[in-house]
Amino acid sequence: MNALTTRVAPGKPAAAEKSSRRFSIVRLLVYVLLGILFVTQLYPLLWLALYSLKNNEEILSGNFFALPASPQWQNFTDAIESGNYFRYLFNSFFVTSVTMVGVLLLASLASFAISRFRWRYGQVVLLIFLVGMMIPMQATLLPLMIIFKNMGILNTHLSIILPYIAFQTPISVFILSGFMKAIPHEIEESAVVDGAGIFRIFRSIILPISVPPMMTVCILTFINIWNEYIMAATFISSEKLKTLPFGVYSFVSQYSVNYGAIGAFLVLGALPVILIYFLLADKITKGMVAGAVKG
Amino acid sequence: MKWSYIFKFAITGTLALSLAACGGGNGNTPNNSQGTNEPGVEGTANTPEKPKDVTITFQNIFPDPTDPKHIMMKTIVANYEAENPHVKIELDSLNTDQQKLKLKTQAASKEVPDITVVNPSAQMKPFVDAGLFAPLNDMVEENGLKDTFQEGILDWYTFDGNLYALPDGNNIGLVYYNKELFEQGGVEVPTTFEEMVEVVKTLKAKGIQPMAIGEKDTWTGSFLFMNVLLRTNGGPGFLQDVMDGKRTFEDPAFLEAVDSLQSLIQAGAFQEGATSFDYNAGGNLFNTGKAAMYYMGSWATGSIETSSVNGKIGVFKFPTVNGKGDPNEFMLAPGSAFAISANSDHLEETKKFLNYFMLNFPQEAFKVKGAVGIAQKVEGDFEAAGYSDMAMDVLAMFKDVKGGDLAFDNTMNPGTTQVHLTSIQNLFVQKKDAADVAKEHQTAYESNK
Amino acid sequence: MNVLRVSKLTITAFVLPCLLLYTCIVFIPIIVSLYSGLLDWNGIGESKFVGLQNFINLLTNDPVFWPSVRRTLMFAVFSMAEIPVALFVAILLNRFVKKPNFLVSSYFLPVILSVVIIGQLWKTIYNPASMGGMLNQLLDMVGLESLTRSWLTDPSVAMYSLYFVALWQYLGYHTLIQFTGIQNIPADIYEAARIDGAEGLKADWHITLPMNIPIIKISIVLAFIGSLQAFDMVMVMTGGGPAHATDVISTHMYNMSFLSMKYGYGSAIAAFLVVICLCATVIINFLFNRLERKYS
Repeated sequence: MNALTTRVAPGKPAAAEKSSRRFSIVRLLVYVLLGILFVTQLYPLLWLALYSLKNNEEILSGNFFALPASPQWQNFTDAIESGNYFRYLFNSFFVTSVTMVGVLLLASLASFAISRFRWRYGQVVLLIFLVGMMIPMQATLLPLMIIFKNMGILNTHLSIILPYIAFQTPISVFILSGFMKAIPHEIEESAVVDGAGIFRIFRSIILPISVPPMMTVCILTFINIWNEYIMAATFISSEKLKTLPFGVYSFVSQYSVNYGAIGAFLVLGALPVILIYFLLADKITKGMVAGAVKG
Repeated sequence: MKWSYIFKFAITGTLALSLAACGGGNGNTPNNSQGTNEPGVEGTANTPEKPKDVTITFQNIFPDPTDPKHIMMKTIVANYEAENPHVKIELDSLNTDQQKLKLKTQAASKEVPDITVVNPSAQMKPFVDAGLFAPLNDMVEENGLKDTFQEGILDWYTFDGNLYALPDGNNIGLVYYNKELFEQGGVEVPTTFEEMVEVVKTLKAKGIQPMAIGEKDTWTGSFLFMNVLLRTNGGPGFLQDVMDGKRTFEDPAFLEAVDSLQSLIQAGAFQEGATSFDYNAGGNLFNTGKAAMYYMGSWATGSIETSSVNGKIGVFKFPTVNGKGDPNEFMLAPGSAFAISANSDHLEETKKFLNYFMLNFPQEAFKVKGAVGIAQKVEGDFEAAGYSDMAMDVLAMFKDVKGGDLAFDNTMNPGTTQVHLTSIQNLFVQKKDAADVAKEHQTAYESNK
Repeated sequence: MNVLRVSKLTITAFVLPCLLLYTCIVFIPIIVSLYSGLLDWNGIGESKFVGLQNFINLLTNDPVFWPSVRRTLMFAVFSMAEIPVALFVAILLNRFVKKPNFLVSSYFLPVILSVVIIGQLWKTIYNPASMGGMLNQLLDMVGLESLTRSWLTDPSVAMYSLYFVALWQYLGYHTLIQFTGIQNIPADIYEAARIDGAEGLKADWHITLPMNIPIIKISIVLAFIGSLQAFDMVMVMTGGGPAHATDVISTHMYNMSFLSMKYGYGSAIAAFLVVICLCATVIINFLFNRLERKYS
């Protein structure tokens, strides 16, 4: 995979574009396919938007395309006021960003050592990380409870940030070390000749090249923790520390579920994320490309 | 979502006014039966120096801010905090499944919150055996709290003479039916199980969905099955007999119950795909007038009252099966209950708060129209307060209760219960030989003893 | 071969923080779980050491366990089979769409939706026609009444219905991952291939596929992890029912540990998961090392 270093801004290969003009039927088919996918993948959002304006009876009667008889804006008021939307949103953002920074920092340091240092136990350490890659969180709840109790960090943000980071490290190390292994060794050899220290090689050579896989790590981390509830519900008890999923599940009580408010809360929860994502989508890809060019 | 169901019987006094609830006029004053002192106010007023600040963690299962129970809880907590400025109540409101998981995890590390929620009898026993809860014998005597509870209800939360939790609910299993749909189908309220099966067939033939159930939540089918068993057994106590070694699941009464339930299912009583409907989706079929009958605990009264079929609903007792059983014996559902951690850092303050909370519970519940099926006696004119006719019928039914059984999971150990729940769920998907079902139960019981 | 010779101290500085955190929070609990697998313990009270009894019961005497293992592995197979499709979509996007980012992002959206909502959505699709189920109504309309059924409660199809939801939800996820990989393949390679007469699908076969192997490996691993951990979705849609027909390893573990209150037994299942995970990691790494060697 030495090609990594020689990558240039890709965009669409010019050749492919030219030739494809000749096959307008193929082109049409492709657009139809992509269009169908667009509808099936995006329909849930529309559905969710409608859902959030319905009352329980409309939702549970399961009419798929029906519009709400009279829009229940009340759902949104309920979600914002009684669902503690802003506080939960802030907490979710805080926990998620700290986790992301933590994962990136720790995993990239470790991956660098595993993939570039000459030492005996590199593969052993990698294997230790990989063992934990597929462990479901539920299996560790009890032991973690005891550990956190002894550390005295129950009911703090730390008690969810630590496991979030720890559970994301295996896959992150897997991705980052796989990527870093493929970077040609000549790069740091010449840097060493130039007298660059190990931290400098890491910071100004390896890290910039590794932007694309780090983006992947970020996205994975985000997906896995933004909606995480079991661990948060177990370790957090204070109202002021709770995250967005608490808001969703707060409308589920013993003998009733307030589906409309759940829908409204989910719309409100997804909105900032979708906005940020679409605003940054171009930048994310450009960042990846820039990283590749610099290498 | 299951939990609670169950309870003892004898709500003779439910409505019957043993408790002077003082008309419920000013919400800020705690009232209690014998006109004893108001505990909270008294406590602080009499203490000369300022008491130390304490924070009490109150784990509960009323997370929905739009739910009357949540509002009620908030009100009582706010009142208490106002009267006791040194006490802060930290509410950890979780949905029921999550609370169960959290409590079990906390229990393993002896980190139980000051106040938590448990289910009666067999379900809370492991926690009691592990010594996690504080006995409430002395606390329940204070301010006459004990006398506010219905007779016998506290027994389900008492182990070796020690009371460990105070329940918020007390319900019975009954059949709700839609009068309008019954009229359309030209059927009468069935007085026997056999008639009920006929009613199902008639309704079905006329294109009316006879019954609704939310069998994804497996306790719903189990609750119904246990009521059939209560009849075929000729009375309560079948599971107890099994546990005492007097009988086995392969007993004729059990086989008959399985076959009877199957006859109902095979007659097409329940909606297609019933096992993918959760409790709410199942109940909603009935609440939107799409199903004619609904077997459920009396706690469903509230959600029916706020639905579009309100006013068209009647109730009847679960009928005799093959001429056996007494309709006045009910499935009893003593509710989830509040327990206090034995390791609480401020045990006394916590007890004091819970005492206040429970003393104020009935009248606050009455105010938010949630007083049908609570565990305490309520004074008040239900009719004048705007409770529906159906609610009045349900309340009347409580007076007929002559005993009954608890749900399966409140009687048997969890291992056997899970096998039972699955086994019954399977009947909703395919016809099974009753002997196989019985054997499945017996094997599970023996391996989980 | 790694080249950087560094002091032990440097290695420690790089590896230790990460390793320490991971060890305390993930690795030690796993070991504790392994040990709990040797206990007869309800998770609350006293525990009793029973040796390998839980494991023996699990492997020889649990009617739910092996079917749930089979379903979990099937889940993994289906998820992995989806990756070529995702790669194909990514190639199409890259080649035929001027501003592909918007589409890629749109496809990706189902992943960030909470499982609560996904479950509710698909139930309204899968419900029986009489309950307004869209799929069945659709089948009725096009004259395929014979195929209509209760998709989530018919034990013979319920599990496939669940697989399909997962495939739908994660298609955009894998497409995004593959797409970022393709974006990083240099254009001049395609240019050179074109001169050699390789275009379109042929170029994809000889360039895109081999160049993207590391990214495909990531997708495969993620698909596998996702399948082993599939929990929320199963719980929300069917709860493992009807009668265990849709139980997977993780739901079985949850049922045993927290509902049946057999924490020791549940831990034995967790231990089994660790073993599967180890095997899978080794196999995946072995296969891909060979592939990568072949193509580089």
